[in-house]
Amino acid sequence: MRVIRNYLVFLLVIGFFVSSLPAEKVKPTYAVVGCRIHPVTGPVIENGTIIIRNGKIETLGPAAKVNIPEDAEVVEAQGLEAYPGLIDAYSQYFLETKSPSGSTAQRRPPFSAPAEERSWDKTNFLVLDNLKFKKTTLSSLHKAGITTILVTPPQQIFAGVSTLLNLNGEKFPPMVLNDKVFLHLYFTTSRGGYPSSLMGTVALFRQSFLDAQHYDLQKKTFLRFPAKVSRPEYDAFLERLLPYVVEKKPVVFDCANMQDIKRAINLIEEFKLNGFIAGANEAWRVIDWVKRAKNPLLVTVDFKPPLGSRYANLGEELKKKAEKEIYPRNPAELQKNGLTFALVSGKISNPKEFIKKVTQAVEAGLPADKALQALTIVPARLLQVDSYLGSLEPGKIANVILTKGQLLTKGCQVTRVFVDGLSFEVQAPAAKGAQAPSVNLSGKWKVTVVSQMVTMEMTMDLTQEGSSLTGRLTSEMGNWEISEGTLSGDKLTLVIAANVMGQDMELTFEGQATKDKITGSISFMGGSAEMTATRIPDKS
Amino acid sequence: MKWRKFVGLILAMVWLGLSPLGAGQDLFIKNGTLLTITQGIIHGGDILIIDGKIKEIGQNLTPPKGIRVIDATGKYVMPGIIDSHTHVALSGTNEASVAISSEVRMKDVINPEDPAIFTALTGGVTMVHTMHGSANPIGGENVVLKMKWGKSSEEMYVPYAYRTLKFALGENPKRANMMGFSAQPRYPQTRMGVIAIIRREFAKARSYMREWERYNQLKKNKKLVSFILPPRRNLRLEPLVLMLQGKMVARCHTYQADETLEFIKLSKEFGFKIGAFEHAWEAYKIVKELAAEKIGISVFADNWAYKMEAYQGIAYMAGFCAKHGVLVSINSDSGERIRRLFNDAAKTMRYGDLSEDEALKLITINPAIQLGVQKRVGSLEVGKDADIAIFNKHPLSAYTRCEMTIIEGEVYFDRAKYLEEQQKKAAAKKPHKKGGQK
Amino acid sequence: MKEIIKMMSRPMNWLEKMRKKKKASLRHFIGLGLVFCWLAGLVWWPTLAKAAETEPVIAIKGARLVTVTGSDIPQGTILIKGKYIVDIGPSVTIPPEAKVIEAQGLVAYPGMIDGLTYLGLQEISMVRATVDMRETGNINPQVRADEALRPDSVHIPITRANGTTCALVAPTGGLISGMSALIKLDGWTPEELVIKVPVAMHIQFPMMRGRYRRSSRSVSGSKRIKELKKLFNEARYYEKRRLAAQKNLLLPYPDFDEKLEALLPVVHGQLPVMISVYAEKDIKEVIKFVQEEKLKAILYGVHDGWKVADEIARAGLPVILDSLYNQPSRWEDGYDALYRNPAALVKAGVKIAFSSQSASLAKDLPWHAAKAVAFGLDQKEALKAVTINPAEIFGLGDQMGSLDKGKLANIVLTDGDLLEIRRHVKHLFIEGKEIDLSNYYTDLLHKFEKRLKEK
Repeated sequence: MRVIRNYLVFLLVIGFFVSSLPAEKVKPTYAVVGCRIHPVTGPVIENGTIIIRNGKIETLGPAAKVNIPEDAEVVEAQGLEAYPGLIDAYSQYFLETKSPSGSTAQRRPPFSAPAEERSWDKTNFLVLDNLKFKKTTLSSLHKAGITTILVTPPQQIFAGVSTLLNLNGEKFPPMVLNDKVFLHLYFTTSRGGYPSSLMGTVALFRQSFLDAQHYDLQKKTFLRFPAKVSRPEYDAFLERLLPYVVEKKPVVFDCANMQDIKRAINLIEEFKLNGFIAGANEAWRVIDWVKRAKNPLLVTVDFKPPLGSRYANLGEELKKKAEKEIYPRNPAELQKNGLTFALVSGKISNPKEFIKKVTQAVEAGLPADKALQALTIVPARLLQVDSYLGSLEPGKIANVILTKGQLLTKGCQVTRVFVDGLSFEVQAPAAKGAQAPSVNLSGKWKVTVVSQMVTMEMTMDLTQEGSSLTGRLTSEMGNWEISEGTLSGDKLTLVIAANVMGQDMELTFEGQATKDKITGSISFMGGSAEMTATRIPDKS
Repeated sequence: MKWRKFVGLILAMVWLGLSPLGAGQDLFIKNGTLLTITQGIIHGGDILIIDGKIKEIGQNLTPPKGIRVIDATGKYVMPGIIDSHTHVALSGTNEASVAISSEVRMKDVINPEDPAIFTALTGGVTMVHTMHGSANPIGGENVVLKMKWGKSSEEMYVPYAYRTLKFALGENPKRANMMGFSAQPRYPQTRMGVIAIIRREFAKARSYMREWERYNQLKKNKKLVSFILPPRRNLRLEPLVLMLQGKMVARCHTYQADETLEFIKLSKEFGFKIGAFEHAWEAYKIVKELAAEKIGISVFADNWAYKMEAYQGIAYMAGFCAKHGVLVSINSDSGERIRRLFNDAAKTMRYGDLSEDEALKLITINPAIQLGVQKRVGSLEVGKDADIAIFNKHPLSAYTRCEMTIIEGEVYFDRAKYLEEQQKKAAAKKPHKKGGQK
Repeated sequence: MKEIIKMMSRPMNWLEKMRKKKKASLRHFIGLGLVFCWLAGLVWWPTLAKAAETEPVIAIKGARLVTVTGSDIPQGTILIKGKYIVDIGPSVTIPPEAKVIEAQGLVAYPGMIDGLTYLGLQEISMVRATVDMRETGNINPQVRADEALRPDSVHIPITRANGTTCALVAPTGGLISGMSALIKLDGWTPEELVIKVPVAMHIQFPMMRGRYRRSSRSVSGSKRIKELKKLFNEARYYEKRRLAAQKNLLLPYPDFDEKLEALLPVVHGQLPVMISVYAEKDIKEVIKFVQEEKLKAILYGVHDGWKVADEIARAGLPVILDSLYNQPSRWEDGYDALYRNPAALVKAGVKIAFSSQSASLAKDLPWHAAKAVAFGLDQKEALKAVTINPAEIFGLGDQMGSLDKGKLANIVLTDGDLLEIRRHVKHLFIEGKEIDLSNYYTDLLHKFEKRLKEK
């Protein structure tokens, strides 16, 4: 027996090595049969067949017109829908946020010489350096039907460039489609340094763009008249800006509110940039600006009225209404005004939540086909990958998803995902997930979180309805909403919208629950901590 | 020179045209006590407003058909209050990380949704000069806004006001009262340093200006033009160049009389204009000089003794200076005080013995003059913008209450309507609550 | 007598030294002159003292009298003898020795009483060295405002020149801030200033600050109440143990605990607590708390008072409002929530008083009251809320707060409505003494008026 087992292990190890060899290896051939095909760029095909060979869509069409090749593994997809893999063109998955290099003290400008020198952090310029693979993230993306993501650098004034990944496995280099997609700019401040205010940031953008233009002129003039003009001193930062300021590669402004959108448009127009507007949660409020400027839009769907907005400031009632009814209409409103946009996850760190929110936008009036385009061909065009991604067409990369039920309707489930022609089975939620909850966790809980650095005490209020939970965590650090919670059997998952030192972040708790005790671990950007909770008995 | 103005006007129109700018509205205000400021009091007076402008003022006017009529019987009608120094409607006040931050513009960070705008309206305020803070010897460019609550920042923006740059002297730019993180020493730490650093920046700006002049001269030579580089644009120095050219004026935060005088000296050294001194709590000590130099002050009525340099700020100051030929305005510098500037104006009657007329000027025409908008606002006159505040009692009475605030003929605050809405909301809430108790 | 000899010896020494140094004879002459004057003063002193014993009499004649407690007297006379009003009415016989103040055209009011100030505790708010109203730590029942009073504060004469004659001076900060004192705004020493001490023990609940923005931190009033209950129990037990030890020598005698000791009059219901409480939920809990603990209580601030006015009235608790220069913290409550709060409370039957909650702007007290009138409060009620109401709330209703025979002669004479801004205080009497209205403001003004006159 033991011998056999050892032999099996040996085979598995060999198998592993073989499967992880570089991509030169010929990829399998699949024939997906019996599904309804939604090519996005063409009409829907009932009872269709898709042939995937060596990473590409070889052909697709009605079953009658497509021959199934001999070498194909047949994937029975009767009753399923086939879509191009979804593209999330503005996300932060796999991103490990390093604390910006150096302590704040080091980053402060020397005050004794009122500095004109820029002192923001330029180190996080490439996203690829900061990526860390996580299998759970990959599978949750697949589960949501997302096969391609743009990973944007973490929030900083000049944040750096983004990386486009095709989610075809577990290693980054094979996943990367492009590691210098956009330059990302945020209307934020440099903590502890210059600029410390929004107006300073706007001024810094303007001065930097002017400097880049001037630097370019200096360089060019020098090359023309090397004898007459002195050579400009090399400036690493301005060199990095040149492609965007002079060569007009795309620049993405993160716009948290309507004023940011106007700020971005003003800058784009002043410096004739190839500007994109991301976020744009409040684009509906400045629709005339957006229409006139015609900048590509990467529209987030978190539907939270931004801080400082009248919808956030003028009372709780309005705030709730805004989040439920008003802001979800943003995509529909943009659509009505003939604008093209991609729908993106932005700060939503849970792919399932992202698709849920897109569905909410559809319910709020965005035509489903437009929503689908906004997740496929439109982002593909904006990312300049539409020649090989974004729709189901022969010759395109085989990013295909199969779903039970139409995408962007309630109850839709992704059953299988092909990325780069590789098949990824998605756990059928019916089998393992969605068990009836074993207990009711409603009530007050005393929570202890222990990580390497801190031990924190909190209280948690939970309300359970069926298998879904809502509630909040209260601690010295403020009130954190539980944005999503599910209890499947005794398996508890909570997504917590936290705010730590003014920084919004999402924490995920996974663990087991009994009637009076919850144990498990909480994970957040680049770390995890043990969490236990005990029920506080209800007095009444 | 006329064509320049014309081009400016066209540009302004294009700029404004970018957003749907509601042309002013029509309105008829009937039978009020009109405190016109510049033309005395009209009892039982009417105001006809067409397209947001005051078309006619007088007794027994006939309203055109279909016009909205506001009955001001028993009420007091005055021009909208102007706050010459505040920080409302902004996202951020100070660029405090550096001593000189003249590159920043408040125009870039207008927040049209700041609830303080509504607060201002409830106090009859229709226009504000909203400013950079005082953390820096040279701050940023300020902006003048009309308090059009609910409208966009472009609609609020007042393009015809002076361009003003914030300067600050004394304890704040010295960071004298800062604690904790922001207490890290920064040059300058003394009043000597504050003046020195401002002088340095103006000197820099002067040579920067000269550099551009030389470049523009050289550019005319066609042989040289291909390899002569323009100077690097310096956004920090450009506002100072505008000041040297007289296209922008200084608004200088100051407390002590001595530093105030020093700044006047500096303005002569470089030949720039001072729009007004802010706070200037010791202006009463140098009223002679201020009157002679024709430099106005924008001050508190009585908010004082919060720091060392405000300890000799006497409530008699505004009245005393006004009586001795200084152009005085009363400002709020606060999102709360902004709703009771009319009370603060009245205080100059208690302290300083100003007449009602003189007191009202401090919050209307005087700040308008300081902002260069007196031809458009600041009094009830034919041809001016219909920016109007209506009070139930004389605005200088302690018992008064603002009933209505109108900007360019449009009602932005109507207390009666507001109360109605509040009641409706309360009524809608009550049964809901009971339902929840079940 | 011994002291007088001692004092006399001092200038003598000085003279001797002068002689030794053989200074100019002119100085000798001045020195001798001074000594002479001083001796002369000594001789005259007894007669002056005698004059003081026969108290001065002042008659304020012809003013309109707003008595507050009774009806107004269109034209009348107030007769002051010593510290007190000895007669008041439309026709009062003025004794021949009376100093007569012709007050035709003026209005006489009782001096105003400010429900809470930092007068004498704070000079310049941002200069820590001059700020003495906020002790460090959370529980400070042992500290007393009167023990840090600075009679020479420039804010006191400025404040009284606007018609305020008495003010509560209170500590702030923490959960229990300490004890307040009621002062009159005239006196050379803290002792001369203080009328009553302690007036109340001050307890703080959090205010929901912010302009229409709900603070993210939840306002936990119940936690504070728990802490207070625990403390009060400790105090009771502390006393019990002490009493027991006094009776039974075998029991250990508890160590002196300054904090619990200071709380004893509170738990006995002798010393009122003044609880700064703002939010609706907190107010309800505080009412329950003071009833359960059987405390004498005054509520302070009470921003949400209009939401629970009936409950406050039913509990019979008086309310001192904080500065109306504060803003409501919730947009939904309306921009005028704090302005109409006083009217709503009075309508429900709550006794209210106003406060300036300030030192440098304590002079603004009447204008807070007037603001409340603008938003619905009856003018007479507003006047009471700066005179008789605070007097009664502080347990001094029989001594001040109205123009009545037998009360302290704290009187303001104005040329207009007391609560108006556009009026001037013409005369001021504190405990029968006419007060010089000049102050730091006028001193500085006159100094620089002189500069203008220089050529």
